[in-house]
Amino acid sequence: MPRINQTIQTTPYFRVLSENQIEMIYSAALDVIQRTGARFHHEEALELFRNSEAVVTDENLVRVPISLVERAIKCHPRKINLTGRTGKYTIKLEKDVVNFGTGSDLPFTYDRKTGERRRTNYQDVVNAGRIVDYLPNLDFFMSHGIVQDVPNPQTYDRYQFMAMLEGCTKPMVLTSVNGEGLEDLWKMACLFREDEKEYRLKPLFVAYIEPISPLKNDRTAVEKLLFCAEKGIPCMYTPCPSSGATAPATMAGMLVQSLAETLMASVLTYLKNPGMPLVMGGVTTVLDMITTAYSYGAPELSLASAANTDISKWIGLPMFSTGGCTDAKVLDEQAAIESATSNFYAYLSGASLVHDVGYIDSGVNASLESLVMNDEIIGMIRQMGKGINTEEEYLALELIDKIGPGGEYLTSEHTLKHYKEWFQPRLQDRSDYETWVREGKKTMNDRIKEETDRILKEHQPEHIDEKIQKELKEIIEAAEKRHAK
Amino acid sequence: MSEKLGKIADGLLHGKIKEVAELTQELLDEGMDPEEILQKGLFAGMDVVGKKFRDCEMFIPEVLRSAKAMHAAMEKLRPVLSEESSSKAGTVVMATVQGDLHDIGKNLAGMMMEGAGFNVIDMGIDRKTEDIVAMVKDKKPQILGLSALLTTTMPKMGEVINALKEAGIRDQVKVIVGGAPVTDDFALEIGADAYAPNASIGTEKALELVKG
Repeated sequence: MPRINQTIQTTPYFRVLSENQIEMIYSAALDVIQRTGARFHHEEALELFRNSEAVVTDENLVRVPISLVERAIKCHPRKINLTGRTGKYTIKLEKDVVNFGTGSDLPFTYDRKTGERRRTNYQDVVNAGRIVDYLPNLDFFMSHGIVQDVPNPQTYDRYQFMAMLEGCTKPMVLTSVNGEGLEDLWKMACLFREDEKEYRLKPLFVAYIEPISPLKNDRTAVEKLLFCAEKGIPCMYTPCPSSGATAPATMAGMLVQSLAETLMASVLTYLKNPGMPLVMGGVTTVLDMITTAYSYGAPELSLASAANTDISKWIGLPMFSTGGCTDAKVLDEQAAIESATSNFYAYLSGASLVHDVGYIDSGVNASLESLVMNDEIIGMIRQMGKGINTEEEYLALELIDKIGPGGEYLTSEHTLKHYKEWFQPRLQDRSDYETWVREGKKTMNDRIKEETDRILKEHQPEHIDEKIQKELKEIIEAAEKRHAK
Repeated sequence: MSEKLGKIADGLLHGKIKEVAELTQELLDEGMDPEEILQKGLFAGMDVVGKKFRDCEMFIPEVLRSAKAMHAAMEKLRPVLSEESSSKAGTVVMATVQGDLHDIGKNLAGMMMEGAGFNVIDMGIDRKTEDIVAMVKDKKPQILGLSALLTTTMPKMGEVINALKEAGIRDQVKVIVGGAPVTDDFALEIGADAYAPNASIGTEKALELVKG
């Protein structure tokens, strides 16, 4: 007989903030925008604000009435779909669908031959892309490293995107030098669709843009925002405050300020062209008060990010969160601890994009091995997120009775069917001691190195069509010519 | 007929218990040499299973399903096999020693050995030393598998080996010991022939010992 009055929890349920707390933070952010305001270093932006209900004083300080903020924030879509260059991979950026990916623009790469860090180059980004393309638990790609073996730093972003496209067929998040750079990246991405309008239906990337905390918006960031608004390009405006230095030392205070910064971007893009797909976010962490490091392993980063995700879900925007990263200089025990805990917390929170997987050395150094390690961690985490099924087949009452006291379940059809629902590790060792000794006493680190070698040796992503390759290069060459003067 | 041998090997791989047993019977009825069925059908199939297991392409529940199919075919084949072939796929007596009620590891090893073609006589749990010796005398197995999970019952395995010596039948049977607290050193110390850290290695060791 079926039961009445039942609630089934199909997955674990997790939140940091109550609805009342979210309302308090949102309300405080509105007050910041109306009372304190934010600075914009961009003439067109200031003109847009002056022609609206907003007030511009002291040259570039913008204060906005709450009514305008609330109109603007309602205009963004609640979800965004991203599709990789080949169409094989699509991810959905929406509430409680969690996608994991790398971070971008690390100046250094951990050299796998010398064990030292060195400047990141084009091939490093291609290789990171190939690894992300291969790993089943990484869903999107940011460049991991910043390409530095290029003719001109002002055009590096086009080469970097080219390297990313070469290595990876998954959806992406892209950084750019400025508005002009972003326009080139967008043109390059459009080559993989029939035209601009088709591209809008099936975007390939989210543009990464950040304000300067506290409450400052520089020229290049605003250029990019306005271009995204004009073309309807998905973008994220993601504050990177360090608590205690560029934001209040309290988590709540940092969240209020970050939200105010994001809401300001919402208003600006609304005034330009309402409806731009916007992702909320932020790397909301602490400034280490001994070393002054901007910490990528701090528990406060995970806590504040999960709280921020609660806010994003309440507002109805996808969320850009952080995990799988560390302050450790190499892939050691600290790296494993910090990667695992941050991934787990970000996953439970239900953020849409969890980035910076594979960052070591406090967001300075890029590790390929860390990507391989994190893939296993994320696999475990996704398994823990599956929850417990309590349907009849799963309660297994009939089976327990059939097997009886002292029996065994190894040879039952039920086992054969359901053990496949378990997580099967690829890298973790569960062998007996003798086997482990016989196979060379390998540590997790040894196995990660071997697997990284294997992927780099074997995996090649689908090739880019020659015609498109040529057109991509033409865009890069044109940029090169413009900047040669 | 050789097409059916291929089907037997394939059926083993996919754990088709009924089909493998039926095909074995059909080939016997058609007059094929049982030795050929064993080598080219059953062992050929189980070799693939073993390889896939080592390469992590098959897991324990699937291997056991294949083992069940092997066991069903051996039921048909064993009565008509020559003595020489029979001993190649010999008899294993298994028991958990006295004082110990754990048996999942032993059962798993037994099932895997059946899969390798052995005739497995499982004495169950908590078996007295004299009962085990009597069984070895009676059934004359090629292999005796002893299991203990507890450090407190481990010494009983040494006791069984001594009792075999006293009965004058130690050299007639190879002894494999296993169980979580058991080690290579311990096996050597008590005079066992082999130590099996898990069921699949136990099966490999049993095959090696039978080959001599």
